[in-house]
Parts: sequence; C-alpha cells; structure tokens
Amino acid sequence: MKAFAKLLFVVPAILILLISPGCKKFLQKDLQNELTQQSFPTSPADALMATNATYEILRDWYYNSGGYPILDIMSDDARKGSNPDDQLNYVGPYDVFTFSTSQDGLDRWWNTLYVGVKRANVVIQFVPAIQMDNALKTRYLAEAKFIRGLLYFDFVRAWGGVPIVTTVNPPQHLARASKEEVYALILEDLQFAADNLPLRSEYTAVNVGRATRGAAQALLARVYLFMHDYINAEKYALEVINSAQYGLEPVYVDASGVKGNNGIESILEVGAIQVDNTGGGGSQYGNVQGVRGTPNRGWGFNRPSVDFRNSYESGDPRYKGTIINLGDTIDGVVILGDGPTPDVTKDSLGNVIEVECYTRKVWVPGENTTTQWGFHRRLIRYADVLLVAAEALNENGKPADALTYLNMVRARARQGNNAILPDITTTVKNELSDIILLERRHELGMEGWRFWDLVRTGKAATVLGPLGFVAGKHELLPIPQSEIDISQGTLTQNPNW
Amino acid sequence: MQNSTNDFKLPGILSGMLILIIFAGFGMGVSAQVRTIKGTVTAADTRETLPGATVALKGTTLGVVTDIDGKYSIKVSQEKAVLVFSYVGYNTQEVLIGDKPVIDVVLVLKKTTLDEVVVIGYGTVRKSDLSGSVGSVKSEDITKITALNPVQSLQGKVSGVQVTSTSGDPGASPVVRIRGVGTFNESSPIYVVDGIILNSISFLNSADITSMEVLKDASATAIYGSRGANGVIMVTTKQGKIGQEKTAFSFTGEYGMQNLAKKIDLLNGHDFAMISNEINPGTFNNIDAVPNTDWQDLIFRSAPIYNFQLSASGATKTMQYYISGGYFKQEGIIEKSKYERITLQMNNTYLLSPFVKLGNTITLSPYDQRVAPDATYAAYRAKPTLVPYYADGSFAAVPGVGNPLADLAYSNNYNKGIKAVGNLYAEITFLKSFAAKSSFGIDAEYNKSENFTPAFTVYNENGSISQQQHLLSTLSKGSSENLTWLWENTLTYQKEIKKHSINAVFGYTMQNTSSSAMGMLGSNILRDDPNFWYISPINIYDPTNGVNNINSIYDNVDINLNYSMISYLFRVNYVFNKRYILTATFRSDGSSKFTENNRYANFPSFALAWNVSQENFMKNVKFISKLKLRGSWGKLGNDKIPYNRRYATVESNIITIFGSNGSPNSGASFGVNGNPNLKWEVTTQTDIGLEASMFNDRLTCELDYYNKKTDDILIDLSTAGYYGNGPYAKVTYNAASVLNRGFEFNLGWRDQVGKVKYNISVNGTTIHNEALKIGGSYGVDSVLIGGYLGNGLPVTRSKVGLPIGAFYGYQTDGIFQTQAELDAYPHNSQAGVGDLRFVDVNGDGKIDDRDRTYIGSPIPTFIFGFNLGLEFKGFDFSFNIQGQTGNKIFNAKNLVRPDPYNFETNVLDRWTGPGTSTTEPRASFGGYNYTISDHFIQDGSFVRLRNIILGYTLPTSWSKKITMQSIRLYVKADNLYTLTKYTGYTPEIGSGDVISSGIDSGVYPITAVFSFGVNLNF
Repeated sequence: MKAFAKLLFVVPAILILLISPGCKKFLQKDLQNELTQQSFPTSPADALMATNATYEILRDWYYNSGGYPILDIMSDDARKGSNPDDQLNYVGPYDVFTFSTSQDGLDRWWNTLYVGVKRANVVIQFVPAIQMDNALKTRYLAEAKFIRGLLYFDFVRAWGGVPIVTTVNPPQHLARASKEEVYALILEDLQFAADNLPLRSEYTAVNVGRATRGAAQALLARVYLFMHDYINAEKYALEVINSAQYGLEPVYVDASGVKGNNGIESILEVGAIQVDNTGGGGSQYGNVQGVRGTPNRGWGFNRPSVDFRNSYESGDPRYKGTIINLGDTIDGVVILGDGPTPDVTKDSLGNVIEVECYTRKVWVPGENTTTQWGFHRRLIRYADVLLVAAEALNENGKPADALTYLNMVRARARQGNNAILPDITTTVKNELSDIILLERRHELGMEGWRFWDLVRTGKAATVLGPLGFVAGKHELLPIPQSEIDISQGTLTQNPNW
Repeated sequence: MQNSTNDFKLPGILSGMLILIIFAGFGMGVSAQVRTIKGTVTAADTRETLPGATVALKGTTLGVVTDIDGKYSIKVSQEKAVLVFSYVGYNTQEVLIGDKPVIDVVLVLKKTTLDEVVVIGYGTVRKSDLSGSVGSVKSEDITKITALNPVQSLQGKVSGVQVTSTSGDPGASPVVRIRGVGTFNESSPIYVVDGIILNSISFLNSADITSMEVLKDASATAIYGSRGANGVIMVTTKQGKIGQEKTAFSFTGEYGMQNLAKKIDLLNGHDFAMISNEINPGTFNNIDAVPNTDWQDLIFRSAPIYNFQLSASGATKTMQYYISGGYFKQEGIIEKSKYERITLQMNNTYLLSPFVKLGNTITLSPYDQRVAPDATYAAYRAKPTLVPYYADGSFAAVPGVGNPLADLAYSNNYNKGIKAVGNLYAEITFLKSFAAKSSFGIDAEYNKSENFTPAFTVYNENGSISQQQHLLSTLSKGSSENLTWLWENTLTYQKEIKKHSINAVFGYTMQNTSSSAMGMLGSNILRDDPNFWYISPINIYDPTNGVNNINSIYDNVDINLNYSMISYLFRVNYVFNKRYILTATFRSDGSSKFTENNRYANFPSFALAWNVSQENFMKNVKFISKLKLRGSWGKLGNDKIPYNRRYATVESNIITIFGSNGSPNSGASFGVNGNPNLKWEVTTQTDIGLEASMFNDRLTCELDYYNKKTDDILIDLSTAGYYGNGPYAKVTYNAASVLNRGFEFNLGWRDQVGKVKYNISVNGTTIHNEALKIGGSYGVDSVLIGGYLGNGLPVTRSKVGLPIGAFYGYQTDGIFQTQAELDAYPHNSQAGVGDLRFVDVNGDGKIDDRDRTYIGSPIPTFIFGFNLGLEFKGFDFSFNIQGQTGNKIFNAKNLVRPDPYNFETNVLDRWTGPGTSTTEPRASFGGYNYTISDHFIQDGSFVRLRNIILGYTLPTSWSKKITMQSIRLYVKADNLYTLTKYTGYTPEIGSGDVISSGIDSGVYPITAVFSFGVNLNF
C-alpha cells in the first residue's frame, strides 16, 4: 500500500520536471523539409540558387503576356489563331480591342512580373550580406538588376507607371509611381548591369544564357529608343555592335530556330528543354503557338494575319521563315493543319479575312508536342540591335550610318539572291524611318514587337484603328480590376478605361 | 408488470390449513420458527438472473446477496417478515414471506432516466446535476444499424446532430455536423474514446460501445477548449460489470445483403436514339433497332455484409475485464470494392487496493480495403446505344467516358493498415474526497496503399485505339504512419456537505502528434501478377522508353499531423440543495501550431441550472416529476485549420536552363508570403435549455435554443500583386465569421398497454446558417468561391448574409416559347427558341455573368428523427425514420457534358414546340442550356426509413436447455425506403469541404441492406 502512495508523489514530480523547463521547447515544432524565408539565402550556394531563380520567370507561361501572345494578336500582324471558338472569350477580345479591365490574362501577367521582381529583390536585398567571392557576388547582383530592369520595362510599356517595389517586404496599399520614376529605376538597374556583367565570351559554356554586358547594353538601347532618347539609344546599340561579340546567323530561320540556339545572333535567350511541363524546364511559349492538328505541335494561337502575309516584298525569304502555310513541308513533315479550323475564312463580301497558317518562329524539329516545349525564345537578337542602331542614327541625322546597319539586315535576308530585297538608299529621314519600321515588321515578325513599335512611333491609331484601337486608351493596358479592388482605391486606372 | 407476490397467492383455504399446521408446530414446542427461504432473482428486461442482488429482511440488518446464478437462501423466523429485493438500477420490491418456502422475484428496471450517469469530459455527472446540453445514445441503439462506423447510429437519434452517409462505398466515412456548419474549414467534431482524443471512430466495433454522448453546448465542450468548437462525441467502451463473477459471454452474428437502394432513371436505347435524332437528325437510321444497354445493371450487383462479435466479460474481487473480438466485412455493390476489419478490444481494471486502481482500454483494428474506380459516373454518362462488349468478347469503346466495365476490370486499388488506440491509467483515491488519475494513451496508425493498372487498350470498332488505354503498366505504392501520444493527469475533488455538493477537477495534459508519408510510382512492371507488384529502379526511370516517374516520388510529413499541445483544464460543478447548479469550466491550450505570440488561448464557459421540480412549491404538481432550466455561455476553439499558412516558405524547385547544351540549374527563391499572426478560430456559444419529465416519467422532453458564432475563421484572401505572390496566390487570414442558431427538441413517450411496452421519440433541429463576415479590411474577397465542377466552373459562392457554400448561378424563368418571346426578352446571344430563359437579375437589359445570383443552400434548415420501439412477450420491434428539409442539391453530373452523354428521363418532357414545356428546354448535348443555373438545382429534402428491426427472444426455459442465458433472433432492413424528389441515387450529398457541399458529381450509391442475425448470451 505504501508503494502505491508513493505514486502520489512520483507523478507530480515527473510533471513538475516536465512542465517547467521543457514547455517552450515542447511546443516548438519546426517546418520539415521546407526552408522559411528567414533562413534563405545565407550561403554562396543559396546566392547562386536565388540568382538562377530570377531567370526562371522568363520561362513562366504567364510571363508571355499572361499566357497568350497578345502583343502580336493586338497588332496588325496576327489574329487570335487556333480554331474559331478556342479561347474566344478569353483571348479573342485582344484581337478586336474589346478586352475589359478584368480580362483574363492581364492579372496573370501583372502578378507574374512582380514574382520576378520579388525574386530579383531577394538577391539584391540579401546577397550583399553573404560572405563570398566578391566578383561573383557583384555578378549575381548585376544579373538580378538586369532581370529587374527587364521586368519593369515590360511593366512601363504595358501599363505606364506602376508601384515600384525594391524590397521583399513592401508596405501595404502602395500607389503607382510615375512612368518617369519607373524608367529611372530601369536605367539605374541596367546601367549597373552593363557596368558589372561579364562579356558573353567571358562566360564558360555551362553559363551561356546568363545576362551579359552586351544584353544589358542592347536592352539599354531599346529602353532609350522607347524614351525617344536617340543619342543614348545610338550609343548603347553601337557599343553592342562594336563589342565584336555578336553577328548575324547566315540563315534567317536559324536566328529563331534550334540551330541558332545560343548562337552568334542570340543576345538574350530563354533556355528550355524538351519536357512537357514548365516546372521541369519546358517552355509553353512554343506550345501555345505550335502547329495545331497535323502535325500536332501545339495549340496554334497567334496566326499571321492576311495583311501581314501580304505586306512582304516579293520573294522575301523571311516570309517562309515566319509563316507556315498548309501544304508546306518542314524538316520532312507535311503541314496539314487542324480540322475544326477553316482553311480560308471569308467575310460576307467574299474577302479573305483569315487563312489557316501558323508561326514558323517557334517551330522545333521533332515528333510531338513535347519537343515543341524545347523552344528557346529570343528576347534580344543582334538583328534587332542593328535596326535599333539604324533607327537611332537616322533620328540623329546620320542616315548613311543608318543605311549600313539596315542593309546588313537586308543582305542576310536576301541570302545572296540579288534579285530580291535591294539595298535601301534613301537618306530622307521620314522615308527612311518608315522603311526601318517596315523592316522591323518583317525581320522581327511574330516576335512580339509590332504592337509596341506602332505605339512608340505614334502610328498605332492609324494602323490599328480599323481593328478597334482607340487613341488615348489602347496605348496602355488597363490596370487589372482585381488589383484596383485589392488596393481599395489606392491604385488609379489608366486614362479612358 | 404485476407484483410477483400475487403470482404466488395461495387460495384462502390452503393458507388457513397452513396456519393451523404452524400453530400445531408451536404447540409441539419445536423451535421451527427459523426456516430457510430460497429463490431466484431475475431481471424483467433481460430475463437473465441477477447475481449480486441484495435480499434483506426488512427492519433488520440481516441480508444476503444472490449468487452467480441469481439464487439466494435466507433464514427467517417470522411469517410476517418482509423481504426486500434490490439491485442497482432496478425498482426495489418487497415481498411478504407468509408461508412460502420459495420466493422467486422478477425485478423491473427503473423507468426513470433522471439519475443516469452521463459521461462528460474528464469525469461523469448525474444527469440531474448536469447543466450543459448533452445527447446520449446507449449500446442497444448503437448496434441497430449495420455500419462500419458506429457514428452512423447517431443519425436521427440525437437532436442537433446531422450525420450524412454520403457514399455506399465500403469504408466510406459519413460527414458529421453538430449544430450546423461552424467554419469554412474542417467542421467535424472530435471523438473522445475512453479519454483519447481522435478524429474518427471507424476503427471501433459498435458492439464494444456502452454509450455515446454528444456534447453540444459550450458548458459541455469547453473542457476540450481549442478542439471543442465543432462539438465533442464521447465514446465509452464496455467494461466488466462488478458483481458479474461468472464470465458472461456474448455473441452477435449478422449476415446481410446489400442492394442498390434506387436506380437513376436514364434513357433506354430507343429513347436515346430518338432524342439524338432530334438533336442531330440522321444519327440513328432505325431507332427501334439500336442496342439497349443498361449500364447501371452492368456495374451494380448484390453484395453481402458480415458482422460477428464475441465478447467475454466479468469481474472478480480485484479486477474487471472485458475482452472481445470482432470481424466485419462489407463487399461493395460495385465489383472490386470491399472493406474488412478485425477489432480486438481489451478493457481491464485492476483493483490493487480499495484506494488504487490500474486499468487499460486497448483497441487493435487491422483493416483491408479495396477501392473501386469511379464507375458510377461512367455508367451514368455512357450511351445506352453502345454495347459493352464486341462479338469477340473484348471491351467495346465508349467514347468520352470510357467503358466502365473496362475501368473496373483493370483497377486494382488496395488500402490496408492497422489502427491501434489504447491507454493505461492509474487512479488513487486519498483523503476520502480526492482522486488523482494519470492516463497515458496512444493513437497509432500504419497505412499502406497499392494501386496497379496493367497495360491495356480498348479498341474502337474500326480497330483503331480508343482514348481508353494505358500504354505501360503502372504501380504506385504509398505508406503513411502517424502516432499521437496523450498524457493526461487529473485531480478530482468530490464532496457533499449537507446541502452542498461540489465536484471539481483540475488537469494538466500533454500531447504530441507526428506523422510521415512516402510514395513511389513505377511503370512497365514485369508481370501483371500481384507477385510482381514491386518497384525496382528500372521501373522508376527507364531510359529505354523515356518513362520518368521521379516526380511522383514523395517523402514528407503531413503538416496537419505534426504538432504538440500542452493544456491546463479546470471545472467545478457546484450543486446547492439539489436545486441550483453552477458549472464553471476553463481550459488553456498551448499549441505548436501557432507562433509564440498566439501560442496559448483560453476557453472559459459558465452554466447555471435550476432543478425547479425540487422546489417545495412543485411538490404538489404531481404530473411533473422533473423540470430543469439551464443556460450556458462559453468560448471554444477550432484548431483543425490550415495553420501552416503562417509560414513564409522558400520555393525550392525552380529550374532554369543554362549552358550551350541546355542543362537544368536549380534555383530557389521566396514563395508565397505567410501570415505569422494566424491564430485559433473562436466560437462563442450560448445555449438555453429546458428538460422535463411528466406523467410518471412517461413523457420526457428536452428543448434547447442555441446560438453559435464563430469568429476569426481562417480564409484565404487575395493580396496585392506587387507582393510578388503570383497569379491566383492567396494568403490566409483570420477574417471571417459565421453564425449558426436554432432550436432543438427531443420528445419521448414510453408506456405499457397490457403486455405491450412501447416507446416513441421525436427529435428535431432547426438550423439557421449565415456568413456574417468574409474578408473585411484585408482585401476585396468578400466572397469565397468553391464547388468546382468537372468543367472547372465553380458553383458555390459564400457571401455575407447567405449560408456557407450557397449555390450561385442563373435564375431560370421558363422556356423561350417563340421567336417573338426570345426577341422581347434580354438574352444571351447563344439562346434560341426552346432554350431556358434566364432572369435579368440586375435589370440592365442584358444577360451576363452579373445576373448570376443565389439559387439555393446546401444546408438543411430542419433535420429530424422519429423512433418507435415495441416489446411484446419475447418480441421486439423498432424503426427509425430520419430526414431533413430545406436543403438543395446541385445535380452536377447532369450538367457537365463535354461530350454527348445519356440523359435522365426528364428530357422526355422537353420542349418540342410552343406550349409543350415551361420547365424542360429542348434537347441538346451541351452548350447554353447547361450553363450553371437553378435548372440543375433540386430539392434535397427527404424522409428515410433508416432502419426497421423485428426481434424475438426465445423463452428462458428454451434457451436454458442448450445452456444459453438468452437467445435473440432478429431480421432487419436498413435504408428500406426514402421519400424524396431528388432524382439521384441518394439525397444525402455531403462533402468534407464545406464550400463544396451538396454537389452531386456522381456518388457511390447508398445501399439497402436486408439482414438477419442472432444475439447469444451464455
């Protein structure tokens, strides 16, 4: 009996021992197999991973203007594509400028760009404190700033001024910054990148694809062009040209094709592998636009328009390098197209308004849709830099120099066939600037530049008016309604939306 | 029941003679006045003898106790002496000895339930001293329904409790809601089995349970603090009875046959062909010569259900024991589904001394489940004009849905494991009024799943390959284990001083829960034979065929089963003069689920009750034997919430492709932001109740009003895009409130007419469910969207002022009868004559998304049950009716039609020309008329004859002959009949996800079960 009575003392004794010191520790359960944001990035390896992650956003499906190539679709170069009903209510409105402030895709693009900004900010905010090789640290910071500049440049062109976020913990209810403030941040970031990034040739083979000094300079040239600062646009374009790091692919299709992946013409390129999901390293950009039907390479969105098809100079090989027609044979594959898509669509007057065709730019040789996911999207290529240089030089009163670079692009296009694409000779500024704009349409067709080229040159209302474009409204996309709602009125809408 | 002394009344002459003889004896001077009386004491209800009954000589201290066979013998000296027979729970009986040498007595069970003991958290209380709202179900009712999960026996028995048997799939668990739906998150109650806190009791055998108590109001549940908000179901398993010195054996065997309770009325081949030709003329050349396949008949079958249990229980002077073994097997009415379970129960108590008690309750429950693929949906959709097999016996292709028979044939999904729940405890009483108890319990489960699909191809009629194919065999295996240990220490003080009665308990508990899960997927398994269901490295990554299963390999911790808790609890129940009751409860819970700032939370409750019937002024009110008023208030918590959202985590599988050869480089960066301020959901509940017993306890009634408001409900809100959380990303905040309120009643009447004993009870609950706040200052999300259908469209939208998970879509207003009518009304461009007319709710002259509106609630406004029991001689008969009204069902299976599918027969009433129909639009295989609208909303009200039993207990004299104490045979039927307008298999459509409730996307049908069984006691 006494033994049991002892229990009376033993149990409370154990209790007291357990309660007092162990209590706090007992109630502390850490996350398993998952890092929290307090513990990252803290090592040189973390710094590298954080930097790598910033590039990944460029392969994100929604980075591509919210999933679909709406920039071409909004231009006079392309129609929605796929069969008539497919995504009619989601993508269709961009084709005819009836999209609303809550149109599907806008919010995804907006949100995805900020994911990229956050990833860049992680590097910029936390890597400086990590004990590591200083040269490498500087490169990582320059890479992150390059990506941040690139993303904000998308923002400012699409929406004008947007909330500027340069920390991972931004305050609540942030208002829009002005367009000028956004441009200032872009220039600062890209200048840092241009000053600190290695030349392309300084990277080892395994690092090809990272941001380079050339890429930063080329992007600066493009940014200045959009700012109508032609002096600086000329300066940075020429720095790229004179760096002797880049050149033109001998064959036009290789400039966007597999043979030219990470080639001489590639200045900024989004690497991808042939895996049919984004998480595993594939790129849906090529899948969304790939040939629909037979062969089955994708969904067939972004269809070259009749106007675009007819705009080429006769015999321009870039027509076939940009547009896939039914009956074409590419890499031994006959293009038969999609059943539910009409081969030719006519309006009530009998005019052909759409022809079933697909974009050649994303074509990847292979057997199925999976290979199509291996498409490497070119964000900057050398031909573009040459045309930026030509445009800036012309604006700066140096038409002769402008012609040099313009005709380099035409010379490559003509492939030694002197019967076509003669050299341009005019030095009349207005004529030449029109010619350069048209040259951009043909050289860079279906690569997402046309809409913004029209807006920045003030020609959008004239050219796109018949398609539904309203001057003073459609130069900018509307701020997604959901963002305005969440901000509880802090975010203001763009004019006329 | 008549007084038994009457049965032995001897005729007057005979007694007179006896008196003479006795007087003669006196005269002879023989000391014969001391003689021995013998007899047997039996219980009227069970017809079993009562061991341990007291037989006392009135007015003396003399007395004996009946032996193991209920027999006694007592020496008496006076004829006028009276023997008093008593036994706990039975009416005491007095018998005048007279000259009888043998006095057999049948004791009658006390009718009153007033002083039954009710199990509450960390103790028990006399029902009369209870101040909270507690519903109770006893063992005889728990075993009435043949079901895997004992909680199904609460259906229709306890007010305030809604048990929805959502599926007839063997092993499926019902959805349980107590007093409405309290939160947007997990709304299920917790179960406390012999002190161990659990999330389910599907591992228990119904026959091992003594009672289940449902703790409903704050006074009753606050002792469970952060886990009490959704209610608590206390389960007490059986113990050996003190006094039961002879081991009592009990055997229950039951065999039942399950059948599809109801078939859905679908079109036959002819009618389908007719409608098809109407939609696409010329589809069928001769509608009288098309095949007619009834796919439902092909996938459903009759299936048996077995349930056996054998137990032994008893007590010696130093121990009580109860051991049992059970076996339950349910085959599914769809091939390749079954559930098998063995239950072993060992409950022992050791009385080491009058002051020290040790004990254990242990349940081991291995199970083996086979799960069928979702064949019901395919059978619902498959065209009746398609044949199941080709002439060569191979599976025929069924475009769109696949051939359900092929799905079944190639499916091999297994899920087996073992659940072990048990505890050991020691209890010491000291200083008379104190009891200290320490109990250590575990809840452990190991589960293993195995799914094998062989390589197969179903060919189209022309020999090409259909969509239904599996190129390479695949085998997935998963295993998970979890372990909870719970250590509870309580100190109880119980004292009665004159008119004061006090019962207090203080406790300290610790709990730890951990888990892990792993899984693998392999393909191209060497042989289809189960002997080859093992995964080798070659099956995971096979470069020869490019199969890469690496992404399907997982090894993780279930975040919801990885936490620890420390709690302090206190309760005092004070009763003054049996009239005034005060209960105060307090629990403080600390949980690892929350950051240090929010780690502890306190949950108080108070209750007052007044036993009016004890007052002197009630003494003369004879017809009322009991009247009690009670009221309670308290705060409770819900910790079954996605608390891991407090962490801001790093996304670590970010791959970027660099290098001239394109190689993956790993990356990591900040993922979605967390909310470190997350805390418990808190429910404030008020309850006012009345309990009364009248007319000699024949009428009992209990009435409650409850008001339950839950605040700080965790919901996911959109955050500003510039936080970089990404498209559609949301962050969890404590930002919603929900109200549930209503009345509950329980009315019972029990009486006897001649030899027929009967009891009737009715219970009902009204539920008003309303979201009071969603989102608030954190963001724009003033609605929660849920109930995503197979086509990706959501069908519910919860918003302030409406019930949780309210249906949302277009309102219809007839059919466009003519072109003129179509032109006159606003309509969607796709609408044509013969199509549904949608209401222009916002009156803007057009029909678009903004015209969608509230079209019904999945939550019933009234749930009820009706029970009747009859006993006559050896026969017993009972039935249970249960139902609900006010809820709607969204018939989603009828709406989602990506391809042409079969129709329900309502399409036969379709519009075919002006005036032909105002409710059924023209026939179509998809498109406009299948927009989410109230056309697919159906009334979910039902009344179901849940259970009906007829039993017969053989007379004791018969059973004795084969050495049995009692033998009862019974037949019964479950789900025999359901009165409902709903066209699906069952109107009981539930969901664990409260914002996706009441949506019928194709369920495994509920079955009707006919069974017979036997109960043996020996």
